Amino acid sequence: MNLTLETLLHGVAATLRDRIAPAIEDSFAIEASRLAAMLITISANAVDDAAAARVWENAALRALFADAQPAFGGDLARRLGEAALSADPGLKISELDRENARLRTILVELHAAVENADNDQACKLDARIWRLLRETEERRAPRS
Amino acid sequence: MIDMEQRVAAYLMHRMPAAREVQIDECARIQGGSSQETYRLRGRWHEDGQPIERRLILRRAPPAGLVVAERDIEFTVYHALANQGVPVPGVHWFEADPQWLDQPFFIMDMMPGKPGHFYTSDDPYDGHGEAVARQFWRHLGTLARIDHRALGLDTLRNGTADDSFWSRELDWWADIFHKGEGVVEPIVHAAIRWLRRNPPPPAMKPAIVHGDYRAGNFLFTADGAISAILDWEMCHIGDPLEDVAWAIDPFWPMTRHLSLDQGLAEWEQASGMAVDRAALDWWRLFSAVKASAIWATAEASFTQGPVREMVVGMSGIRAGHFHRKVILDYMAERGHGA
Repeated sequence: MNLTLETLLHGVAATLRDRIAPAIEDSFAIEASRLAAMLITISANAVDDAAAARVWENAALRALFADAQPAFGGDLARRLGEAALSADPGLKISELDRENARLRTILVELHAAVENADNDQACKLDARIWRLLRETEERRAPRS
Repeated sequence: MIDMEQRVAAYLMHRMPAAREVQIDECARIQGGSSQETYRLRGRWHEDGQPIERRLILRRAPPAGLVVAERDIEFTVYHALANQGVPVPGVHWFEADPQWLDQPFFIMDMMPGKPGHFYTSDDPYDGHGEAVARQFWRHLGTLARIDHRALGLDTLRNGTADDSFWSRELDWWADIFHKGEGVVEPIVHAAIRWLRRNPPPPAMKPAIVHGDYRAGNFLFTADGAISAILDWEMCHIGDPLEDVAWAIDPFWPMTRHLSLDQGLAEWEQASGMAVDRAALDWWRLFSAVKASAIWATAEASFTQGPVREMVVGMSGIRAGHFHRKVILDYMAERGHGA
């Protein structure tokens, strides 16, 4: 049997919640222990798919940029094109997060440009961006 | 806590030179006001030969917290609002000199009652939900009616302004959001842009805005009376609808005890103003942005340390997600991503 980080953290949270917190007298410390157990549980539930969620989101952003690029000109079009062809630098969470921050920054610019364009294509892109934002938020939702 | 008790006793002797045998005991840190450390304590001393006993609350600024509050705002507001129809604790001393307790702090009366635990209970007000909710709205209406200049509160943020409160507050919170933003959040950016493109009508009047008026920030007694409105550190002058929108944010709902229409009717009667529902909708989206800014600050605070309170960490992780989903829903109602 493989003792996963997820299982280990759930065990730590249960110990904190069920054994340590009840043995504490100070009410502030009891509440801190309860919250700590909840935070550990949320962390445990995020361990397994942390990389997958980021890889999925980065790929979805690149696909959006590729489709949006022809609708714009100038520097934004160039950067959309470059970002669409980019790749994740590695699979460490820190690496994926840095890449995700870079792509999200471009998304903010793209979204603002879409809002300023008054045509059918912009409306479709706006709807697609909001759908992507909702799906991303759901995939990253903290689970307790 | 013995060290804390001794230091507070030393401070009280400094502030009350006529007092004798000053003792502080029963000091304990309590939950409440995540942006400030809160302690309850008992003070006993003799003055003019008479024994005096006071139950007190000490609020101390942390090295970092959920919001960057100017330290004396809460003390100033409590002092100004005494006997104005909104229940607030009596305040005694504000101290900015760090020699006493390392950080600025103030001391006020401990008020009777308790906060409702609305996250963990379906009946947080012990059967008095509707009565508490009606007072909740009436007190907020009373606050909106007060002339802040007459109370000397024009020193608060926006205190000398007469209009453009929406843009002033949006600029204020957008700036805080951008400073605290660790993960780029396109949802919040988009909401800020929408709010700028679609401004609300001018405020009905410049009003005292509590800034964090919600379930959890007041005390109620066993007979269902609200005994104190607390946590005024984000108080400023602005559009009274800002507090109304914040009060009905789904993260701390009061509408499960009294419908929104009934609550707003109480507010309208107490304030003497009518609620513009379209304007209120603008402020509801603003509230979600403001909350996102607070949670972004919480994330930054926890990340940077050195103080890492669990409630701040939880706010950053879970509440941030909650309000981004609220923004998604509000934007869908506006035809974006429906």
